[in-house]
Amino acid sequence: MAADKDQPTSTTTGQDIPYSSPASDAHSPNGARGMLRFLGLVLLGAVIGGLAALAAVGFVSAVIWLNDLLLISPRGRMMFAHPEALALATVAVPALGGLVVGQLHRVIRERRPHTPADLIAAVQTRRGRLPPRAGLLSALSGLVSLGSGASVGQYGPLVHMGASLGSLAARLLRMGRSDDNVTIACGVAAAIATAFHAPLAGIVFAHEVVLRHYALRAFAPVAAAAIVGHVIATNVLSQGALFHVTDTAVPRPWEFAAFIVIGGLGALVAGGYMHAILAVGRWAAKLPVVPSLRPAIAGAALGLVALWVPDILGMGQETLRFATIQGAFSSLDLVIVLVLKLAATAMCIGMGFGGGVFSPALVIGTLFGALCGTLVTQLGMAGETFIFYAVCGMVAVTAPVIGAPLTTLLIVFELTGSYVLTTAALASVTLASPIAAQLFGRSLFDIQLARRGLDLSAGRGRALLQNARLKSLVSQECVILNPNDSVQEAVTRVGEGGHGEAYLVDDRQRYRGSVTLADLEVMRGKGQGHRRVRSCQRTPRPVLSPEASVWDAMHHVQDVTGEAIAVVDDKAGDAFLGVVYESSIARAYLKYSEELRREEHGTG
Amino acid sequence: MVQAERQAGASWLNKACRLLLVALIGISPLAPGDEPAAAPGEATLDILTWGGAYERAQRRALFEPFTRETGIEVRVHRYNGGLTELRQAIDAGRMPWDLIDMSRSEAKTACADNLLEALSSDILSPSPQGRPAERDFIDGALNRCSITHSVFATVVAYRRDAFPGQRPTEISDLFDQKNFPGPRALHRGPAVNLEWALLSYGVPEEEIYRLLSTRRGLSLAFKRLDNLDNLHWWEAGDTPVQLLAEKKVVMASGFNGRFFDAMVNRDLPIEILWDGQVQEHEVWTVPRGAEQPQQAREFIGFATSAERQTAFAELIPYGPSRRSATLQVANHPDTGVDMRLHIPTHPLNAEHALTKDDEWYARSHERINDYFEDALLEEDSASQSP
Repeated sequence: MAADKDQPTSTTTGQDIPYSSPASDAHSPNGARGMLRFLGLVLLGAVIGGLAALAAVGFVSAVIWLNDLLLISPRGRMMFAHPEALALATVAVPALGGLVVGQLHRVIRERRPHTPADLIAAVQTRRGRLPPRAGLLSALSGLVSLGSGASVGQYGPLVHMGASLGSLAARLLRMGRSDDNVTIACGVAAAIATAFHAPLAGIVFAHEVVLRHYALRAFAPVAAAAIVGHVIATNVLSQGALFHVTDTAVPRPWEFAAFIVIGGLGALVAGGYMHAILAVGRWAAKLPVVPSLRPAIAGAALGLVALWVPDILGMGQETLRFATIQGAFSSLDLVIVLVLKLAATAMCIGMGFGGGVFSPALVIGTLFGALCGTLVTQLGMAGETFIFYAVCGMVAVTAPVIGAPLTTLLIVFELTGSYVLTTAALASVTLASPIAAQLFGRSLFDIQLARRGLDLSAGRGRALLQNARLKSLVSQECVILNPNDSVQEAVTRVGEGGHGEAYLVDDRQRYRGSVTLADLEVMRGKGQGHRRVRSCQRTPRPVLSPEASVWDAMHHVQDVTGEAIAVVDDKAGDAFLGVVYESSIARAYLKYSEELRREEHGTG
Repeated sequence: MVQAERQAGASWLNKACRLLLVALIGISPLAPGDEPAAAPGEATLDILTWGGAYERAQRRALFEPFTRETGIEVRVHRYNGGLTELRQAIDAGRMPWDLIDMSRSEAKTACADNLLEALSSDILSPSPQGRPAERDFIDGALNRCSITHSVFATVVAYRRDAFPGQRPTEISDLFDQKNFPGPRALHRGPAVNLEWALLSYGVPEEEIYRLLSTRRGLSLAFKRLDNLDNLHWWEAGDTPVQLLAEKKVVMASGFNGRFFDAMVNRDLPIEILWDGQVQEHEVWTVPRGAEQPQQAREFIGFATSAERQTAFAELIPYGPSRRSATLQVANHPDTGVDMRLHIPTHPLNAEHALTKDDEWYARSHERINDYFEDALLEEDSASQSP
């Protein structure tokens, strides 16, 4: 961009060049057609936003209906007259729900529900193309899990559902991978905008968590989707927002210090929460139980504990609300419910229920904040500002878990309309996000992806190259010599092939090293032309496995001075598969960089 | 689910039997309220309804015009709500009433327990503009056994002279005896009190019943109510007005219509706090085994016409259940007061209104009542009746 601008000015010699000329030059490749295409993308974003919002509304309504019907929601439970049957249902419903979920997961290829982590991976590696079948099954799994009272969140399934719809639209319209990424982001933004009644949070979430870069090209369609989602939500979804705060107390200056400390401690709670989920997952894998039955066990255990502490059932919206009311919980209650909710969520998700991690994080965070608020009040220091502590705890735990400090702040702002409260939340998140990122990772999604082999910690460029396989770059155009050939013969063949090096492959197709034309010439010059090639000095060269990524290849190029690197399958007894030329590695690198550059900095 | 409801019904009947002993002593004051018997042989309609200003307005706007038009006399019986008497009458096999004016929540329970006749919307006339009744009535007005005739609100009223400085503006002020000192009067029952108690913690209207469904929500609400000093529990709808008039309390809950009557017709220095008003539907029902179900239906058709609803709402500020009638309401015929401003459903008054969740009460009333009595009434049963 800077170079573009510099050029015309440097060539100016007294002649006035209109200011707009560099800009119009830059846009000339697109022109009017490009703009129409861009507007089409924005329109498509709005359509996807509408579809994702309607899907979200349907999902949320279905969960509420199921919860009332299956005696999970407090309202349904209160309206049911028989305590014994109610107790039975409390255990049986989550257990049966787990059974259904387990069966659903058996028909997904990965044997697990797809989550936001999967769509982040698809976008970050520019794979796109979320599988619609797995998307549908995952949404169904989320619906059954939430409907039967599992302690999981609804925003994960909603986000994934929106993303799948977006990706499906891109596929049906035969659009490219960059556009696929944008439509995925549109679905995500609309789902968040609808579920939280928070369009700004939806837009920022799509950028902060999914796209991880800011491009005008993506912003406009994503914003359109979020607006449509918001409009639909305010007109159709009568269910109230996540939380309302009417209090307008103003915290005293020193309390901001307390909010920052809560942020730091909240990061540790968030870390505990994420690692509990991962630990239960590892532990469950060792259980001598068929994977499809594990959710049922978790459901039954959840139900048994819920007989004692019903707060842990379901998403916990009531618990969240109570945690913002001073005096609703004693300190001991807060600790008990916090620990049990954390354990219940880790168990449900770790043992294979479908659903998100966001809503439980909201509940756990708010309970944690309420605990801090209660302690400060007991010290006689806080008065009217209890709600601030609850909200600070909420953002301190939630932001690290989903890796989205800005989104969490915007959710607070859009749901409360309170600037003071948002400022307090900002104080809390200031410390929470960096501490959690240093200690645990950018988000639970990133940790999960890293464990699946996709490291996003060094950014998208590296992830993309690490995920790009070498296979397409492998070439057979090289000189292959048998170790038993004579040097004389080898020199002729290498020379005729126009190459500077050759690869030794024996009768059993095993790779035996490489030789350079220079070394062969030296031997011939010494009068050793009749000797076998295998006695020639081998250049020590690294080899690449067929599974290696472009990123690995780039690393080897630094140490290699030759023209190509051999690709050898060490799993198949060092079978020689071909070579990868350094120039093609460089070309691939440039191609991927250029694609990223266009996606992240292009406007149309 | 159906079985569950039947079982619920059975346990309710058991409960009713238990209550019967209590009721035998409790209801006898009803008798003096009954009208003198009409001349034998003449067709009469026995209507069970609420007393006071409400009954006076009904007589003038509905009963007397009905008699003039049809020649059917109306005999009025009064009660304080509840289904005990209805169950008793059905058990006894003799139904003394043809029509009962009840709250929609009780009608839903009674309908589920098969205590009421089914009502069809065919008996209703279209609006004066010719709009069919189904579209003229407000949402939720037409049910299987009941037809909403008006919407009333339970509100808090306070004596103006008790708060010469700052006046109460929010429902939480009801529980704030530090800034708004003085004795309070509340209805002896869980409904509305629990809602207000939870609203006073800043819980938004749409979450009230969800939170009241939890043990935690109930205990929070009970805590608020329990913390009130010098609290009178009232039962008959006229008592709170009386308590306010006699300066025995400075704030009382009550039906908006009665407070209006006291303000406008009796010049009591009271003011209504509309914040947190709890709206309810008041419905006509025909009890099972009524002697004249046909005339009863005829009466419902007559009394819910837009003209009669308007006439009723101009006498006592109950919001009409017909959209067409709400638009026609004008000034009080005697006092000239603009009645639109006193109707609970008026946008000025309804900003923070809560609609009572009938479904919730119909299905959980017994349990909520038990919790309420255990939590609040047992300890001070000695001081309960003023």
